Amino acid sequence: MGEHVEFMGKDIYFWNFIVLMFFTLFEVGAVFFEKVPGTEIKITKMTVWIILIVVGIVKGFGIAAFFMHLKDDPRIYTRTALFPVLFVILMLWGIGLSNPAGVTELPSWCTPNWDYAETR
Amino acid sequence: MESHTKGGGRMSGHGAHVENGIWMRAVMMGGIFLTIGILLFSVLGVAMADGKHETWEQLEDDYHHQEVVLAAQDNISEHDQKELKHLHHEVEQAHLSYLSYRVSGITILLMSIAYASFIGVGGFLNASKPNADDDHGDDHGDDYGGDHHGSASPIIFAFGIMLFLAGFPDFAIACKAMLNSSVTADLGMLTLSLVGLLTIVIAVSNWWWEDLPFNGDGEQIATSYPFEGEHIRKAGLWVFIMSEIMVFATFFSSYLRMRTEWCTDWAIRDGVEACKDVPEGTVVTASDLLRYDFATLLPGAINTFALIISSYTIVLALKTARNANWEAPSGFMGKLMPTRKQAIRNYLIATLMLGSLFIVLKLVEWSHLVAEGFDIGTVQGSIFYIATGAHGLHVFIGLLVMLYLVFKADTVGFDEDNAQGIEYFGLYWHFVDLAWVVIFPAFYLY
Repeated sequence: MGEHVEFMGKDIYFWNFIVLMFFTLFEVGAVFFEKVPGTEIKITKMTVWIILIVVGIVKGFGIAAFFMHLKDDPRIYTRTALFPVLFVILMLWGIGLSNPAGVTELPSWCTPNWDYAETR
Repeated sequence: MESHTKGGGRMSGHGAHVENGIWMRAVMMGGIFLTIGILLFSVLGVAMADGKHETWEQLEDDYHHQEVVLAAQDNISEHDQKELKHLHHEVEQAHLSYLSYRVSGITILLMSIAYASFIGVGGFLNASKPNADDDHGDDHGDDYGGDHHGSASPIIFAFGIMLFLAGFPDFAIACKAMLNSSVTADLGMLTLSLVGLLTIVIAVSNWWWEDLPFNGDGEQIATSYPFEGEHIRKAGLWVFIMSEIMVFATFFSSYLRMRTEWCTDWAIRDGVEACKDVPEGTVVTASDLLRYDFATLLPGAINTFALIISSYTIVLALKTARNANWEAPSGFMGKLMPTRKQAIRNYLIATLMLGSLFIVLKLVEWSHLVAEGFDIGTVQGSIFYIATGAHGLHVFIGLLVMLYLVFKADTVGFDEDNAQGIEYFGLYWHFVDLAWVVIFPAFYLY
């Protein structure tokens, strides 16, 4: 378990907690500031998107792997936890196809053959 | 799934001998919660809220007076207009400040009533069980002897939930009628709902009664694929979490589907092609109202930190319970946690307090959003309140379970043999934190 692995005299739970706190501050800051503090660089919507997704993945991994012990527990628990991801991916695919931009904006490999439908 | 039990095949939930009278401490705990709730309600929800209400009324009078004065003038200067706008802003701030105190006071009172009822009634039912002292630790007088035969409490609990939900619409109307005299309660299915609630309380209290003496002896182990060799309760909890992931995934995907189509102010300003002819303010999301101002973003941000800290405190409770060689820390923390038993209990109390803070701030934030016109009547409001409300409900249910953990930590105590209770509850609590990791950026920041 995580309490046996130590770094600088503190266990993995402590460092995981610090990382989670830091990344939360980072994501709140990224949204709160419209420009990078001290500069004129605008934080675009796309940048915020990327920051939120990356931070979400890091925080999610930290909680699941260390606090929920998935890193040390038998693999069957990770598989159980990840099983619904299959459905989540299907739902996201459905979102992509049912969105107006899904017709023209998505890469061709994940859309039906619209050209065929148009020229038929 | 086939199973056998660890440690001589005694049933899960049995082990140490527990005096029945110990449950009266749960009743006392309920009394303490109620007292704290009433005190905090009196201070926050009445005394301070009334003061804030007076300030708000005073400012509103000033604003209307100023409005009348300016309306009588032929020429309104830019300075006067600015002053009026500033006054209007102050009125709004005073209103939100009043709401913060009033709503937090009422929420604390209602939560303390719920806590007191849950732990108090459960404790009272268990304390008054006939001959219960003699039954603990044996085979319940049935023919199963030393073999494990599980618990009937979960199925009774599920039945209670079914009854409660069957009558829930009328239950909700009855709750509304208590707050609003113009609404009349319909007693039709209300009785069914109340019977359901009673069944839930009886099932839960019986579940506690079975679990309290559990000292790690009799944990069921799965004997077949895919969880062979694993604790059945843990495997069951992970399957439950799997289903919960699906529940939150549906909220999230519904939101994402709609959100990608909405022409929010942000999308318009960012030059999204599909939104070029849409005027700003057409679609207002919760994040539009929350993310740009420090004061409005603060409750959500504090809640995020509260959940992360609470995840850490419950991990510390588990770590302390598992550490047979635990030593009291030095200094202030040593005074707070002189023994392992007290340390575990105090970490759990800290988790309970942080979770309660989450609920209070969530309702304060909701009251602010409703006051600003963002209610459940719009598509944006509907998905926001349903998703964050479902999450809040999960937090609240977790807090009710935590009450029992605090009670057990304070009476029987946890150690390296029976720490599974904290571990399995911790899994649920971390999942709730994990769900917030997705909800917070999606609904508050994006």
